[in-house]
Amino acid sequence: MRDTPFSLKLYRWFLRLYPAGFRENYAGAMEREFRDELAESSGVWALAALWIRLLADLAVSIPVQVSREVFQDLQYTLRLWASRPWHAGFAITALAIGIGANTGVFSVVNALLVRSLPFHEPDRLALLHQFIPPHDSAKQFHDWRQRSTYLTDAALFEENDANLGGMRVGSRAHVAQTSWNFFSVLGTQPVLGSGFAADEDVDGTGWGLPGRNALAVIGYGLWQQLFGGDPKVLGATIRIDGNQLTIVGVAPPGFDYPGKAVLWKPAAFSHGNNGWGIIARLKPGITWPQARAAFAVEVERLSPKLGGIDNSNLRPSITSLQDGLAGPVKNASLMFMGAVVLVLLIACTNVANLLIARTADRAAELSIRSALGASRARLARQLLTECLLLSFVATLAGLVIAYWTTSLAVKIEPPPLGAQSYSILDGRVLAFTLMVSVITALALGVLPSLYVGRIHALRSRSSSRTRGSRLVRQSLVAAQVMLTMILLAASLCLGRAFVHLMGIDRGYDVRGVVTVSVSLDGTTHQMDKRQLPYFEEVLDRIRSLPGVRTASATEFLPLYAFGFVGGPFGLDGRPAKLNSSMLPILSGYFQTMGGRILYGREFTEAEVRSGAKVAVVNERFAAGFGAPEDAVGHQLTIGRETPWKIVGIVKGMEYETDPTLANSNQVFIPSATPGSFFSTFVARVDGRAQDQLAVIRDAIQSVDPQVPVFGVKTMQQRLDEVFAGPKFYRTAVWFFAGFALLLAVLGIYGIVSYAVVQRTQEMGVRMALGTTPVRLRGMLLRQGLLMIAAGAIPGIAGARLTGRFLESLMDGAKPIDMAASVGLVLLFALVASTSIWAATRRITRLDIIAILRTE
Amino acid sequence: MGAIFDNLIESRAYSIRLCTNMSSRDQSAAADLTPLSPAVFHILLSLGGGERHGYAIKREIAARSRGKLKLGPGVLYGSINKMLDLGLIEESADRPDAHLDDERRRYYRITPYGRKVAQAEAVRMRELVQLAAARFGVPRHA
Repeated sequence: MRDTPFSLKLYRWFLRLYPAGFRENYAGAMEREFRDELAESSGVWALAALWIRLLADLAVSIPVQVSREVFQDLQYTLRLWASRPWHAGFAITALAIGIGANTGVFSVVNALLVRSLPFHEPDRLALLHQFIPPHDSAKQFHDWRQRSTYLTDAALFEENDANLGGMRVGSRAHVAQTSWNFFSVLGTQPVLGSGFAADEDVDGTGWGLPGRNALAVIGYGLWQQLFGGDPKVLGATIRIDGNQLTIVGVAPPGFDYPGKAVLWKPAAFSHGNNGWGIIARLKPGITWPQARAAFAVEVERLSPKLGGIDNSNLRPSITSLQDGLAGPVKNASLMFMGAVVLVLLIACTNVANLLIARTADRAAELSIRSALGASRARLARQLLTECLLLSFVATLAGLVIAYWTTSLAVKIEPPPLGAQSYSILDGRVLAFTLMVSVITALALGVLPSLYVGRIHALRSRSSSRTRGSRLVRQSLVAAQVMLTMILLAASLCLGRAFVHLMGIDRGYDVRGVVTVSVSLDGTTHQMDKRQLPYFEEVLDRIRSLPGVRTASATEFLPLYAFGFVGGPFGLDGRPAKLNSSMLPILSGYFQTMGGRILYGREFTEAEVRSGAKVAVVNERFAAGFGAPEDAVGHQLTIGRETPWKIVGIVKGMEYETDPTLANSNQVFIPSATPGSFFSTFVARVDGRAQDQLAVIRDAIQSVDPQVPVFGVKTMQQRLDEVFAGPKFYRTAVWFFAGFALLLAVLGIYGIVSYAVVQRTQEMGVRMALGTTPVRLRGMLLRQGLLMIAAGAIPGIAGARLTGRFLESLMDGAKPIDMAASVGLVLLFALVASTSIWAATRRITRLDIIAILRTE
Repeated sequence: MGAIFDNLIESRAYSIRLCTNMSSRDQSAAADLTPLSPAVFHILLSLGGGERHGYAIKREIAARSRGKLKLGPGVLYGSINKMLDLGLIEESADRPDAHLDDERRRYYRITPYGRKVAQAEAVRMRELVQLAAARFGVPRHA
């Protein structure tokens, strides 16, 4: 019969789908029966009927047998764990931290860099940085965008916090003014009403022209909150900073670009407003490199026309919207991803090491099982089942850690858009976790499984079987030392960068300073042009409070370096080399902030009240024109403005959080209209600043409850908030490095104490021949340190490479120097020696007679 | 910390636990396993008549059920595997005369426990039959 060989071959192939244990026992009998039945069925129909019956049988019985064996393996594993709960607990904890941290950090990376933005074709959207196209009038801007060779459309926007009317107490909202085509560039349709129409953006200062651009699209949340989701909201008005805006549309839920905005209005273009951001969409067919090239040409062509300001410190660039939004968080999250991958690798090597040790320990049991007929595949699969279960349990525990990590990340680095929420309940994140989990299990299982194969092959209990595993384990420890070294170096790197960041002389003293912000936009004080009297009254009340030493106010507080106004200031008509920031303040500001007046004095109350043209400049500005002290009495000039008389030189205050932008030129002038946008009261108090927060806030509110009061914080709290990100990175990397070090110590301890047990007889013989226990321990120490050195040398090389990588990612990070490398190696040698010494303490208790008797 | 490794290294008591429920078998009442699946009950019935190999069991069951119950090899040996684990049957070392035997065939026989379980199943069935007879009566020609 021609079919016989083929049918038999096919059936054999199906039999291979049964689990190994079942196949070993029954495959022969089943094949034999198949032959019998095949012989009995003659004809095509009988053969077909046989195959139908057999296929049904296979379909039912294979899953049953597979799940049965897997269940047995699981039971066996659980019994094994119960007999060594410490061992299992340690392995699960180490893996859970590794997997959890990876999942948590990936959920951030996924939200910021992988998941696409909720806009139409988001990968074609671009942000233009440090470059604003012609924008003195609406026509100028729209002409520019229509002529662009590489952009199909572009929109300008400016973000601000503003006072929102219609709420019970004065409150603040993030609003944006945009060119009319903002929504169409993003490809977003309002859910109700429409976006803005052509020509609804106008030329004008401030809020523009009532009747022309007094329109608003409101956010979905605001619609629900203020109007209860009423569809008749179109045509209603909303008050922003005292301006009545007519609502023409409602944005879709979750739409909050830019910067969590809740309201959008058509822009008012005016000469000299440089606060614009620009978003654009690439022309179809234009690639990113082409766009970058075209952009560079355009910057070159337009930059001389942009107002004669020195632009040497600007670096215009065009990036995808996604990269632009991720900004600094991108680097931090990538660095973190690297760190947590290292942690997981270290945890894997460690747990693999433990598993090999235990497998070696179980060698006798495994050889007996194998002699009893358990196949190599069966034993290997049992080990693999254990690894899968280990990894699965660790993943479940890791998800809890991941959840905690993401909620921490939201606090430290909130996502720029509401739609970019960090969540572990995301298909991609869960797939990533599953992948990590399976890879972990395979990585753990592969070496012990190979080892099982060798036990099976040898089927002996000779001591040679352990030598190979010892080499593998030593290599694993060396690899672990190397990875740990890299993490330690990275943590040292970041720690130093952080210390450097915190140690900068900021030019003011944060201790004992209370800060409270107010905004007068849209209030009666602004309408009546009586901002200064309001501030004077508030300051009088604050100063009369017990425990308050001095008080003042400023339009810009250090560390909050956005919305700066400045320009090419000069001395007696000679322009400075760099632009200067202009910082309007009230009297007593330097005294309150603990600033240092180097020469001259600060403003008097009378000068502020009379609007005197006086100025204080920082040392750096003054030093640009010769000896700083000589600048006192000279004229501060800009364009054709009436010059200011310089009355004092101060040590500059650090307004920027970014160290690379630090130490710029600063010009302080009396604030004539404090409270526009917003201003901040500062007060220096006796005792703990926190204790005075409420009292000072109440004093401010008592002057006029309609004025929104916000940002009630001590200066120390503001500093902590601003540096929460770097501090968190440092702490987290320290934690990972400490965890890695602990794992490395455990690994070293484990392998050395295992070696002591393995070589007990050899030790006994050596001691009988006159070697002292101390010398024996010294020998093991030398051997152990060799293993450390084998890992430490590539570790140092890796650490220096990592340092360079970190340098490019984080400001202020520098690769570790030679001294630090040596220090790290010494630290490692010390820690390793201690754990080796502890692991060999058993030698001193060895009973030579008992050992020799067994020989 | 050291305790983990000391524990790991010093626990050299190798215990072999075969994955059977040998110890628990005696305590569990035979009735706990009922109702048996038709395949298991038929296999016990066949082995009640003496030692058989798998193929013989299968043919006997097919004949007894007039061709209605044809066990496929996977289900048959799956059931045998499970019954061995439960201790209902055991593998027999005795072989018929060499010329009648194929070395690859495995022979099985029922254990005393297997008999008890089969009895328990028969009792259960009888009670069902009696109940059915009381409710519906028993026709002369089924």
